[in-house]
Amino acid sequence: MLCIKRAALTACFALATAAAFAQTKTLDGIENMTRSALSPIYAGNEVKGYLMFGRGDKADRKTDNYVLDFYDQDLGKVSNITIQKPANRFTLLKNSFNGTAFAFYFCNLKDETVEIETYDTSLKKLGSKVIEDLSKVDKMIIQNQMKQGGETSSVSGKMDLFPVPGHGFVRNSYTGMAKGYALVMYDDNAKAKWRLASDEKSKLYEMVSLTEATDKYILGIMMRRDGMLSKQVSSSMIAINAATGKKVLDVPVETSKTEQLSLSSFTFDAEKREFIAVGEYYKLDDKPFVNKSQGFFIKRFSEAGKAVSTKNYGWQKEVMALMPAEAKASLEDNYVNYTQSIVKGANGKMYIVAEQFKIVGDGMGIALRAMGGKVSVSKGKIGNMLVFELDPEAKLSKVKFYQKDPSNAILPPGSGLMSAGLLGHVIKSQGDFDYQFMQRNDANTQFNVVYINFDKEKGEDTKRVIGNIAFGDNGQYLEDKINMASAANYSYLYPAKPGYVMIADYYKKKNQLGMKLVKLNI
Amino acid sequence: MLRLLCLLLLYTAHVYSAVAQEKPYLPYYSNDTARAYKLAVLHRSAVKAHLTVPKSGPKEYREHYQEVVQEAAEDVFNSIRYSALLDSELEPYVQQVFNRIVQANSQLPISAKLILTRNPEPNAHAVGNGTVMLNVGLLPRLENEDQLAFILCHELAHVACRHMESSMQEQLTTLHSQEVKREFRRIINSEYNISSKIKALALGFSLNNNYHSRRHEKQADSLGYVLLTHTGYDATQAYRALQLLDTIDEPETTAPLALSAYFGCTAFPKLFEAAPTKPQSIFTVKASEKTVLQTTDTLKSHPDCAKRMRFMSILAQGRVAEGPQPLSSPVFARIRQISRLEVVQSWFDYDCYDHALFEALQLLPQQPQNTYLRSVVVLSLYALRQHLQHHTYTEVVSNRSEQNPASFNKLLLSLYDLRLEDFRGISACFAEKTSLDATVPADEYDLAARYAARALTTETTAAAALKVQYQKQYAGGKFDKLLFSAQPPKTAAAHR
Repeated sequence: MLCIKRAALTACFALATAAAFAQTKTLDGIENMTRSALSPIYAGNEVKGYLMFGRGDKADRKTDNYVLDFYDQDLGKVSNITIQKPANRFTLLKNSFNGTAFAFYFCNLKDETVEIETYDTSLKKLGSKVIEDLSKVDKMIIQNQMKQGGETSSVSGKMDLFPVPGHGFVRNSYTGMAKGYALVMYDDNAKAKWRLASDEKSKLYEMVSLTEATDKYILGIMMRRDGMLSKQVSSSMIAINAATGKKVLDVPVETSKTEQLSLSSFTFDAEKREFIAVGEYYKLDDKPFVNKSQGFFIKRFSEAGKAVSTKNYGWQKEVMALMPAEAKASLEDNYVNYTQSIVKGANGKMYIVAEQFKIVGDGMGIALRAMGGKVSVSKGKIGNMLVFELDPEAKLSKVKFYQKDPSNAILPPGSGLMSAGLLGHVIKSQGDFDYQFMQRNDANTQFNVVYINFDKEKGEDTKRVIGNIAFGDNGQYLEDKINMASAANYSYLYPAKPGYVMIADYYKKKNQLGMKLVKLNI
Repeated sequence: MLRLLCLLLLYTAHVYSAVAQEKPYLPYYSNDTARAYKLAVLHRSAVKAHLTVPKSGPKEYREHYQEVVQEAAEDVFNSIRYSALLDSELEPYVQQVFNRIVQANSQLPISAKLILTRNPEPNAHAVGNGTVMLNVGLLPRLENEDQLAFILCHELAHVACRHMESSMQEQLTTLHSQEVKREFRRIINSEYNISSKIKALALGFSLNNNYHSRRHEKQADSLGYVLLTHTGYDATQAYRALQLLDTIDEPETTAPLALSAYFGCTAFPKLFEAAPTKPQSIFTVKASEKTVLQTTDTLKSHPDCAKRMRFMSILAQGRVAEGPQPLSSPVFARIRQISRLEVVQSWFDYDCYDHALFEALQLLPQQPQNTYLRSVVVLSLYALRQHLQHHTYTEVVSNRSEQNPASFNKLLLSLYDLRLEDFRGISACFAEKTSLDATVPADEYDLAARYAARALTTETTAAAALKVQYQKQYAGGKFDKLLFSAQPPKTAAAHR
């Protein structure tokens, strides 16, 4: 959260000398700043603005003034809303925009509730909902989420408010001792429309994380375990009818008669009306990470959930033939790929963005384990970026390789028993990948992948680079690198309007936050 | 024989003067910053000497007073040090007008001084010690010397009435009054809703200041008019000057820029007229409601020009000049013309390449043979490309705004749309359309622009030759850093 300093009287009379002409914004009097204090507002694929949430002054003995500041995509100030809520005990968990309404998901720590407030595009309040029946796990996850400044996701659990255009917002929660899940759809007026929850009679432990809203469906990845302490998790892809809340697809993808599959990601092809699952495959008797994966697969399912096609792309066959020479060494080095995003261009081509990772022995972990510590004996190593391009006939047509400095990821105990796909999700949920986000325009003709790269051994101060890989309808792959070095105490990177990224630099001593749009050379 | 020699000398002098007049004007630039520095130091000392800190009164008040004086002195120092325009045409010209006013009005302090600054904004203001700062951006917006004289008279009236000192003292007295202190303490001690209460207090403070400020403006108009009548200048122009100030924020021309005509050609047929429009905002928030300060004229710091004009008309007993005035003299016409070029250069030097480009493109159709304007276009493109390449483009290209002229917004949209490789195309087209290389380089700007054009079109051999030529001919020249520095370009924000 952001804390706005009480303005000194003299400062009120001082003349502002900000460079208001440029596409930059400087805010003074910011006492504290975390990444989650500022969040992009999406409409469709594109960033259309930013929301800044901060605590202002006290409204009375028990309540504080909290300020929601709205900026447009050019960082122009639009408006602000001030709300009075419990002092020091209120925070924003998530901001969502579904094309017609804004929803703000707050956590009220004093009353141990969560609240949803919805506003129309003129920022007139539409409705609100206070949810009091939080489970113990819900509360634990919220605590954890707040500790990490809202930067947790999927595997470790996250309280989310997922925007669904044309329908509203879906709130997730955890039932029992994380045995099951519940999803509730709220319309733009914060009225509950439907609820979908795991079967109470089921013996399996289920956890769902929503990944994408299509024209008709809400997609997600379901993880199932047969016991609370079980470390063997299987993942399935699910699709929910956005209008009714009925589950229309629930397919485990890590099972096959011929090979072991590890799901990384899946999406929906609106043109062909098919679900697409992407991951890596292993021999049936191989162990992921102990043995090398054989390649990556793409499985397509009809809207009815029937498998339509499966295509495997073997590392040694299809991929190797197209692999640039400089990439071959990393392939030999036991790296596997975590699929960060899959997009389909207006040209019919599919682009799969992957980041390499592998498990290596952790000397320190082994030593600590020998001394009786409950730590993992292995650690993750993050490698390079790859983009796989498939033509409209799903033939692998290009493999692009982008080298970056390797970095480490600390893995939780028991990671050795996890599948490759799941381990990727763990690394992802810890925020250890260098991939930041993918940006695309509404026409799906231009994409750019944003990642960070810095000298992990010497620290961010020595070298901090934002990498951009752009591709799309023009058939060109372009790379642009931004030197992010600055005197700021903290620098945060955010998505921005197509062709740009947004950098926020926080200067603690000056209590100043500088936001700037950076035009990419793509 | 002697007569013949004299005739010959006269003839030579005449020819030289004709040649000198025909020589195109180049904005002022001097490597020697000592003169501006000395002047800046002098004025800083003058401000400090003039605004003496009171010896009595509460300590807090005196310390605050000292701070304000220090700040004012530093502001004056920086304005003069970094933006004083000490050229050989504009500066002597405005000084002569200023001196004529001072000499005709013995009641004016002899310490009154005029500084012409390179600030491109059309404005002027007076500083506490009697210094009047005149922005070069105001000169092209006036029609004659009489109007300029009135504006200087208005500022001198502020000086004569000691408005700055009294404003400062009034503000500080109010700020340190028992009443405000009590209110401030009450707000702080109340603990709750402090921001909104302080805002309300500040608003009240502003209203009070603006009331006094308006009173001062009326006094300055009134006394300024009287001062003007003593000078022999046409006093009817005072009214017209106010009329011009009333529309000073509007663009001089609403004609669109001929972007395609300059930057599009067969080799690069980019249609600038079809530049993408600004994406629709998702917000449907109505424009923020104006504050009392913005809506109520009686609360503004400056009264509306219409009201000032009515007041002036009464003062002048109806003897006023209205509507566009014919240019009074070829001298003033030249002053307007060259001050326009100074404005272009000023935008460029402040790293506002979008503005420099805009101003140059506006002037170019009227002066198609002006090598300087063509040079500024190319150099602006070069600087913009440098910033784009080093990811500081958005720090030097303005945000589109409703306050901007439509043609400037259109230019901005085109600039947002440009990619690195586009600069090559538009530079090639511009060179083709304006025959940049038709003659031998006329001056430093021209030579720098030729290098920039070659660099933009990646003609490396030609660029290298021009670099050698520039560095030989203008060692340590004005564009050396911009064109040849290995360091990424710095922005104004970085300078700050």
